[in-house]
Amino acid sequence: MHVWNFAPVWANADLLAQGLVNTLKVTGASLAFGVPLGLVLALMRLSPQRLLAWPAAAVIEVFRTTPPLVQLFWFFFALPILIHVEMTPYVAAVLTFSIQSAAFFAEVFRGGIVSVERGQWEAGRALGMAPRQVMRRVVLPQAVKRMIPAFLERAIELMKTTTLVAIVSYADLLFETNEVAQKTFRPLEVFTVTALIYFVVIFVASTLVHGLERHLAASGEGLAR
Amino acid sequence: MGAHYQWNFAPVLENLDVLWVGAIGTLRLFVICIALGFGFGLVVGLGRHARTRWVYLPATAFVEFFRNTPVLVQILWFYYALPILLPFEISPLMAATLGISLNSAAFSAEIYRGGIASIDRGQAEAARALGMTPAQAMRRIVLPQALRRMLPALTNRGIEIFKMTTLASAVAYVELLQQGKLLASLNFNPIETYTVIAVVFFLCLFPLVQATYALERRLNRSDA
Repeated sequence: MHVWNFAPVWANADLLAQGLVNTLKVTGASLAFGVPLGLVLALMRLSPQRLLAWPAAAVIEVFRTTPPLVQLFWFFFALPILIHVEMTPYVAAVLTFSIQSAAFFAEVFRGGIVSVERGQWEAGRALGMAPRQVMRRVVLPQAVKRMIPAFLERAIELMKTTTLVAIVSYADLLFETNEVAQKTFRPLEVFTVTALIYFVVIFVASTLVHGLERHLAASGEGLAR
Repeated sequence: MGAHYQWNFAPVLENLDVLWVGAIGTLRLFVICIALGFGFGLVVGLGRHARTRWVYLPATAFVEFFRNTPVLVQILWFYYALPILLPFEISPLMAATLGISLNSAAFSAEIYRGGIASIDRGQAEAARALGMTPAQAMRRIVLPQALRRMLPALTNRGIEIFKMTTLASAVAYVELLQQGKLLASLNFNPIETYTVIAVVFFLCLFPLVQATYALERRLNRSDA
């Protein structure tokens, strides 16, 4: 019968805390690059010009239909040889997850933009605005409001995906967990505590998102998926 | 710069048998996880509809826990932590199967629940009025209609499961990416090897993704 002993976990709480900070760092950086890049990809894909629409569609489809771990391996092991640069696990992770989440964000943006009625476009144009002005002043503000829940859900997915960086030895929460488990010979306690940490952080985040979703639905905003 | 790198796919193509072994491993894990995940997910999804708390609460706790933790943490928990509580070893295949199947069960349970809830209550009531038991009404009337609406969401989940199988490489289960790692380190050619792996996944999944889009459009049109 196994005797549970959490003392070695508490003794290494600082390592796990540092790991959690690094997890949030990768998530935050990938979001900071991924969201604007997603908007650019969405606008390109919606463009009537094929030279813009096709490359954007290709990037979106490739990054949505290949496993994120394969992408990470490609950026970490293959890209540095191709472009002759040193790649740290952190840079490779942020690069991979920025582009990967941008592909998903692009589809959220596109769905939101398409969901705004044509009449809004026509009214904006009739008032003498240029197409980009209509997009920026009339369509995007309405679309973004509808997209918020889908966005936040994607951000939560992204945080779960960042655990993959542990495989290329970036010191995120999962990587530190493995280190502490090997150091203390207490994998059961350490992995259980880590699972609970992830659960608490992600559960709180998704509960907030669902609350916001109900709030937006109640205030009469349609939700774009 | 990049132009100087001489791409050479010959070493990858000479080792296709190694990748083939990996592809078999990927398919095996995928099929097991689809069957267990979607099957158990249906049980949990029905449990979320139960009026009895003893069924509803555990089903809800299960769904919330497995949806809100990363699947890689689950796989590593089953591989490194669970064996300490058990009198036997956990193989990489078992750890990956447990992690991916339970995670997929939690996600598909929500799809089933949403699908069942979307069927008009009148359907179940009419079935009951015809003398069917609740179980019969669910099986004969509600589920067949709900399944049709859930199909795009379920195929999407299936695509996610296929991508998730690569995480089994973290516990050294022999699948496509694991074999790719082996080849890349033997031949010092990560560029070609990982490119081929990415292309293989893309070719397998792209038709499925397109089929899902088409299915969604068709269901929207027929207003199902």
